[in-house]
Amino acid sequence: MILALAWKNIWRNKTRSLIVILAIAFGLWGGLLSGGLMVAMGNSMVNSAIDRDLGHIQIHHPRYDENKDIRRFVPNTPLVLQKLKTVDGISDITTRSRFLGIASSATSSFPVQITGIYPDQEKKVTRLFERIKQGTYFKSKRKNAILIGEKLAHRLNLRLHSKLVLGFEGLQGELINVACRVEGIYKTESSQFDEMNVYLPAEFLFKSLASQPVFHEIAIRLNDASLLPSQTEQIKRLFPDLKVESWKERSPETAFIADLMILYTYFFLVFIFFAVLFGITNTMLMSVVDRVRELGMLMAIGMKKNLVFGMILLESLLLSLTGGLVGIVIGGLTLKLTNHSGINLSIFKASLESFGSSSILYPTLPTEMYLMLTFLIVLIANLAAIMPAIKAIRLEPARAIRTV
Amino acid sequence: MALIKVENLTKIYNTTAVPVKALNNVSVEFEKGEFTAIVGPSGSGKTTFLNMIGGLDKPSEGQIIVDGVKLADLKGSKLVEYRLHHIGFVFQAYNLIPVFSALENVEFIMLLQGVPKKERQQRARELLEAVGLGDRLNNRPGQLSGGQQQRVAVARALASRPEFVLADEPTANLDSKSADDLLDLMENLNQKYNMTFIFSTHDARVIKRARRVVTLRDGAVVNDQTSN
Repeated sequence: MILALAWKNIWRNKTRSLIVILAIAFGLWGGLLSGGLMVAMGNSMVNSAIDRDLGHIQIHHPRYDENKDIRRFVPNTPLVLQKLKTVDGISDITTRSRFLGIASSATSSFPVQITGIYPDQEKKVTRLFERIKQGTYFKSKRKNAILIGEKLAHRLNLRLHSKLVLGFEGLQGELINVACRVEGIYKTESSQFDEMNVYLPAEFLFKSLASQPVFHEIAIRLNDASLLPSQTEQIKRLFPDLKVESWKERSPETAFIADLMILYTYFFLVFIFFAVLFGITNTMLMSVVDRVRELGMLMAIGMKKNLVFGMILLESLLLSLTGGLVGIVIGGLTLKLTNHSGINLSIFKASLESFGSSSILYPTLPTEMYLMLTFLIVLIANLAAIMPAIKAIRLEPARAIRTV
Repeated sequence: MALIKVENLTKIYNTTAVPVKALNNVSVEFEKGEFTAIVGPSGSGKTTFLNMIGGLDKPSEGQIIVDGVKLADLKGSKLVEYRLHHIGFVFQAYNLIPVFSALENVEFIMLLQGVPKKERQQRARELLEAVGLGDRLNNRPGQLSGGQQQRVAVARALASRPEFVLADEPTANLDSKSADDLLDLMENLNQKYNMTFIFSTHDARVIKRARRVVTLRDGAVVNDQTSN
């Protein structure tokens, strides 16, 4: 009956209650959508990084990252690959020869990361082949074919079929220069990546090095990304002398940004709720002031103060939960719809891509965030009700009854 | 033993620059089953007096003993509990819960007492029928006339099965027909159930119906007359 009374009390002043409910609902809707976009941006950056180059897990020589020296390749790669076959849950593996060098055109030079790949194998782990904007993904029979990023093409003034010379240090410390022909120009979400990565067939690279195949990087794609921590640990145990890293360890900045997006969303929602807190407090205060005589009567006839306090708290809770529910429903539906169709933010394409994010975002929020939101609504409702409830129980029944 | 014993009751309000003596050394007793009017002009202390014996305000001096219990000994929630179980209140402005139906208004006080739902609904229905509102159970106060609202208030006051009912100017907002009807009802309940009614009024017609009239002036009892 107290619950019924609290609910009916909310609707005494419909306009006032509706305004607060709508403020909560739209605040929440905006917060959810913005949060969804931020998380989508984080996810896009993560997925782009994984699809572009990282894969889920990478294996290197333990000292490879010190200077990416060509001589720090993964020793006995065939044995490593053989052992990896015993690990469950691996979808595909690609081996790469990767080191630093200089790319030169007729007009300019630029330091790049040279990667020798087996194109068909690479296709199974990363999606570089889907990013070709001009030319093809190693379809020509040309052995010295090279893929370069659009940004590098601009920087070195290169076009399709242009000649590009790669200069790098050989396995014996000798300087090697190889001439390549631009076979394809790719464009990923990260212009920074596009500027400094070139790909060429591994066989051609090994021939230029005059060596047996040497692989500096083994990239692994998992069947189920959610098993990343356990799979990484398993592979780490298998190769204690090699550097085994999950994409989060390999690219901590990407992992950090993804986490940061969720953190931003929480902060954003907390700020929205903070603003809403004052709105609810104001409404509840007005509601108490409007009912001074009635509250006095209730306390006079024998309603204890703690029950009056509880009733005000319940009213605030019902008001907030109604607004919260409406907000979560419309926010959740908006996220569901936009998650399906995506939101095209191509007007911010340049800035989004400089962060490594796609300009089409698919807003989403982790399920636990909805639980957190419900908790926040309950917390805010209770906080908002404290002052009005104290005002209510401080009324003197004898005086309150005679209030006009 | 008197149901209510008021001894040397004095109430001084210090809320203004000059202290106001609202009640001045009032001593009076009320027996079970009385139908008493507290009368006097505005400012004579009628409401203050009812607030004191209703435990809504504390005396500056003197004491009130209700059925052997000193009200001064009851603090905080014990006093609230005492009001809930021993005193019925009827207010001048009815003071019903506007969002509740007549039935719910009467039921609510029993909810506070912890009466089970089925029992309180039955009792509320019976009481509303007894006050002549059996056909208005589900009407909200806004859908009832002033007289009908005050009848609901009387039913609510009786719902808690109190030892006495305090009514502060219960007919002040009613037309003469409604006032007469309400007095008939209160008188009837008084006679039928031996329910004690103490009500303040300055309405001459109401005073005529009271069996005992206690007159206050400037906070002091100046006359206490019982008719046969």
